[in-house]
Amino acid sequence: MRAWAIVLGGLAVWAAHFFVLYGIASAMPGRVGARWLVLIVTLAAIAADGLILWRTIGAGRRADALEAWIARLGGLGAALSLVAVVWQAAPAVAM
Amino acid sequence: MKSETGFDPALLDRFPTKGPRPDDELARLEEAWRAPKGWGLLTAVNNNYIGTFYVGAAFLFFLLAGVLALVMRVQLALPLQGVLPQETYNQFFTMHGTLMMFLFAVPMMEALGVLLLPQMLAARDLPFPRLSAYAFWAYFVGGTCFFLSLFFGLAPNGGWFMYPPLTGTTYSPGINADFWLLGIGFIEISAIAGAIEILVGVLKTRAPGMTLARMPLFAWAMLVFAGMILIAFPAVILATLLLELERALNWPFFDATRGGDPMLWQHLFWFFGHPEVYIIFLPAAGLTSMMVSALARTPLVGYQLVVLALLATAFISFGVWAHHMFTTGMPTLSIGFFAAASMAVSLPAGVQVFAWIATLAVGKPRCNTPTLFVIGGLVTFVIGGLTGVMVAMVPFDWQVHDTHFIVAHLHYVLIGGAVFPVFAGLYYWTPMMSRRALSERLGKWVFWLMFAGMQVTFLPMHLTGMMGMPRRVYTYLPGMGLEPTNLVSTAGAFMIGAGVALFVFDLARNFRFAVEGTAGNVYGGGTLEWLPTGLYSTRSIPVVRSREPLWDQPDLARDVDEGRYLLPGTATGLRETIITSPIRAEPQYLQIMPGPSAWPLLGALFTAGFFLLLTVQAYTPAVISGVLAVPSIMRWLWDTDRTVAEPEVDVGGGIRLRTYATGSGTHGWWAMVMLLVVAAMVFLMTVFAFLFVRGVHPEYWSDYGGKGWALPVVGLYAGAAGLVWLGRYLLRREGSTHWSPATQVLLAGATIALAWAVDFTGWRGTGFDPELSAQGALVMAFLAQQGLLAAVALLMVLYLAARTSRNLIVRPRSVTLDVVSLFLLYAAAQGAVTALITRLVPGGW
Amino acid sequence: MLEGWPPPILDPAGPYAWPVTVLSWVLLAMAAAVLLVVFAALWLALFGGERARQRVGGTRIVWLGGIVFPLVVLTALLVYGLTLTASLSERIRGDEMRVRITGEMWWWRVAYLDGDGQPVIHDANELHIPVGEPVVLELESADVIHSFWVPRLSGKLDMIPGRRNLMRIQADEPGQFGGQCAEYCGGPHALMGFVVIAHEREAFERLMAARRAREAGPPPAGDPRGAELFASAGCAACHRIAGTDANGLAGPDLTHIGSRKTLGAGILPNNRGTLMGWIGNSQAIKPNNRMPPYTMLSAAELRAITAYLEEQR
Repeated sequence: MRAWAIVLGGLAVWAAHFFVLYGIASAMPGRVGARWLVLIVTLAAIAADGLILWRTIGAGRRADALEAWIARLGGLGAALSLVAVVWQAAPAVAM
Repeated sequence: MKSETGFDPALLDRFPTKGPRPDDELARLEEAWRAPKGWGLLTAVNNNYIGTFYVGAAFLFFLLAGVLALVMRVQLALPLQGVLPQETYNQFFTMHGTLMMFLFAVPMMEALGVLLLPQMLAARDLPFPRLSAYAFWAYFVGGTCFFLSLFFGLAPNGGWFMYPPLTGTTYSPGINADFWLLGIGFIEISAIAGAIEILVGVLKTRAPGMTLARMPLFAWAMLVFAGMILIAFPAVILATLLLELERALNWPFFDATRGGDPMLWQHLFWFFGHPEVYIIFLPAAGLTSMMVSALARTPLVGYQLVVLALLATAFISFGVWAHHMFTTGMPTLSIGFFAAASMAVSLPAGVQVFAWIATLAVGKPRCNTPTLFVIGGLVTFVIGGLTGVMVAMVPFDWQVHDTHFIVAHLHYVLIGGAVFPVFAGLYYWTPMMSRRALSERLGKWVFWLMFAGMQVTFLPMHLTGMMGMPRRVYTYLPGMGLEPTNLVSTAGAFMIGAGVALFVFDLARNFRFAVEGTAGNVYGGGTLEWLPTGLYSTRSIPVVRSREPLWDQPDLARDVDEGRYLLPGTATGLRETIITSPIRAEPQYLQIMPGPSAWPLLGALFTAGFFLLLTVQAYTPAVISGVLAVPSIMRWLWDTDRTVAEPEVDVGGGIRLRTYATGSGTHGWWAMVMLLVVAAMVFLMTVFAFLFVRGVHPEYWSDYGGKGWALPVVGLYAGAAGLVWLGRYLLRREGSTHWSPATQVLLAGATIALAWAVDFTGWRGTGFDPELSAQGALVMAFLAQQGLLAAVALLMVLYLAARTSRNLIVRPRSVTLDVVSLFLLYAAAQGAVTALITRLVPGGW
Repeated sequence: MLEGWPPPILDPAGPYAWPVTVLSWVLLAMAAAVLLVVFAALWLALFGGERARQRVGGTRIVWLGGIVFPLVVLTALLVYGLTLTASLSERIRGDEMRVRITGEMWWWRVAYLDGDGQPVIHDANELHIPVGEPVVLELESADVIHSFWVPRLSGKLDMIPGRRNLMRIQADEPGQFGGQCAEYCGGPHALMGFVVIAHEREAFERLMAARRAREAGPPPAGDPRGAELFASAGCAACHRIAGTDANGLAGPDLTHIGSRKTLGAGILPNNRGTLMGWIGNSQAIKPNNRMPPYTMLSAAELRAITAYLEEQR
């Protein structure tokens, strides 16, 4: 299970972030508070991605080849998630 | 090296073994896997047969849908043509889309999975061969009847997206829409069965040593594909169910005049519909990754990035559904979120495209048919991807949405991303299944006709769309400048048709099904499916030490064929395969597999009969057929979950594996958990529907009271869960009597049914009416779902009782009891949430 | 009726359409440029020399071409797209002229609204607007989902039962702008067109004043035989002509049929011949539309009804 959590962690952060944002936009359409809420949730998601990145970068040098591979995959996933999360929040600023 | 399961990986270093193998070993293996002959072939469950049937059927539907497209293109070649009357055209375009999506694309990918995966993973078969057979027959029978509706003018005509209210009874009173809803709803169930099979297969039946980092990319893609099906398909299953209920029982889920909302359908449909595109694309991308590497004779560049791309696509594709709804007037901020996700989802596609290009650059691909199709597919897909980025830009989409620009875009993506790779794959893998390879000379003609035809058809279509021609129109007016591009598109369509016809000719001339004595590894692939095989797949199951074992271990094929690896024969005299752990693929236990049986076929026929007879409103035969399906399925299960004489066997090299296992992590447990994921997703989507409609039309909601009923209902469900635990505990205690564990579980099943009855009674007392408002309809939908769970739970405990009475429950732990327990626990939990949510979400917030 | 060539998306006529045209050209250029990059890489990979192939072959190109390059392009596009979306969907002020357009199977009901949102002028399949001013359209549906689209003036917006979507259009020059239903609505969805006519301000005021007066006042005399037939043949059951006994609401309002540019919801030019043909057997022109064929009427009778309707301007 731990291995799956590492592999999918970053992407799961994106998914959680996305659905919370969708919920906010649907529940409070056109309200200014929605934008602030989006930014707060986004900061939390960025922190979570950062945490995964930080944990996996060290683990990439593990002796066990598969563990290192999985850690690197998880790290890449978190990095991609980070980009997607930032994009995801762009509408709250640009629109 | 670390271990995942406590298995010592050093044990695998004993292979290949030395010394002679027993003389009768191979003969016994062949005997165990012998296929039935003649008409008996219909009862075959082996993946070589089912996979081939499956690919053949999917290809047949591709041809049929293609013919429909050609006729439509003739109708559109000139303005105001009379080739197809309006109504027929509307049925044709609905059927074209539906067939291509539901009866060609998804089944074709599942079919290739069934055919190729066991070979690629060096498993003897997929873990639930009878489930594969059931999924195939259900699909084939259901799909064929669905298609035939066209000849009776009964085919659906509401578009493959079936938007209500157009598809409601007011505007579609005929049974045409029911054909879609019941037919497709049913085929989706078959797709889910296939997905569970594939998912468990990839996770649990890989050759020892094939860690996650060494998995063939097609296996990765199919893993992701199957996972996506489990999440996405429940949404459309629920949607079709709700619409069918609205049509049959007048429950207004989508009727705005009674508090429903047509937009609910669009959300549910596209929550399935957009991931669906990637569900089709990812397996094809997996095929491409493998073929690119094999054809260029070099490992894929950026393997890990491509794995990440597959996973990322799966996640992000669930955040883009509403980009099919940019023109529905959603709130601006929501639109923005979906636009951003639509951008993000194109990143992983770019990664894969450049990984393929880089691999082609490293190796030296020769100019053969699969290479041409791979490159043609790549080029076409990139163009489709770019127009995809264009329509992700909201204002641009406002203009081109629902025009022929979108028709062009989606055909570029799907033909480039899925059809061309599948054709490449058919050329590349045919030698594995046939005595002769397909013709290279004809193949090049096929490619150039299809590729050029594709561009000629769809490139001008972008312009047709920008000139204002909407989609789904049976004709257009003269004098608007639409004639030239439409005529060119029609000509192109016939080029594609000629290419496909030539392919069929090639197939007829050269494809000769065989398992042994095949044309073999014509293109020099490095993965396990190119080992010498019989119906039992490889003679022995190799230890995998790299991603392309055949390139890295030149003696592998010989050693495998001489039985120098694991399980060189049959250890128990039955069909069996090694179950390995999901991450490091360490051998865990030996799974005994069922052989040929007519019951999956009969089960499929009766299930299909149930849905189809329901469609034509023959209710009594439908019920009879449905009732017959249940014992057929139970009869097929009856043979499974048996122990054999030897609790442990030697699988070669002195490695001993158990022959029976249950509990978390076993293949049966995984399958049940996956099924529960599907059930939970259907439920979650119902909760979404409930809250969505509540948010859109609060004025139609009222407080029915009766909150007090929640307490006894939840209490009963908790009691059922307690009984399940007690039963499992009693089974484990050897002192228990013959019947005591099953009795607890029986009682638990009865308690679940009772809890449901109490819940239902509570609602009836409040005087609510499902026909009156969407609130009532949704509460009823919740209860109906729970009622279905309770009914299945009852069937399961009766089955358990029957097995107990024949002393077929394995002690101290039984797979059957374990999976039934899991299901009952889930049913109790969903029941409790149902009771709470329907009562506690108030009428007047 | 759509114009076809030049592609209306690339031939904008108002401030809600031209930014999208600019965007379209930017996107087309972007697509062409990216395609060029991918093709170049592919070309080098397949036919390049040893050195070039070494450069293209490697994880570096996957990072550069598959991640960094799209990241830059897509970020720029995302910001552009979002800001443009926001500016095009700016809040509606509330003092604009308002028209309610209701999608019906397979035509459009048009009602010009007064300041209180009450309909004052009824029409169908045709919208008159003043040049240079935004007009707000209230888009509704009477049956299934339709989508309102006049590409030279704006993108499309759906008409959904139970909902009201607001859209703004504006034409910067006088002229006719074709529209079309864009959401599949069954049957003859293909033949569900629309026309927007933009007038200079004074001309527009004159037209509206005349129509308001017509709504309140008596109908033009018209051909008496035609009027009689219009009533006796059952036309009045579905059609309304202001100031007469004809007040059916199922079909298009015919108060101004004589001045309408098109027939059958934007699919035929309106003249004596087409009008007669439409009344006699509209099913042959637009199969499955809701109007029954009147093949039992003689040519003389049809002529009389046509003459009567031509007077309704």
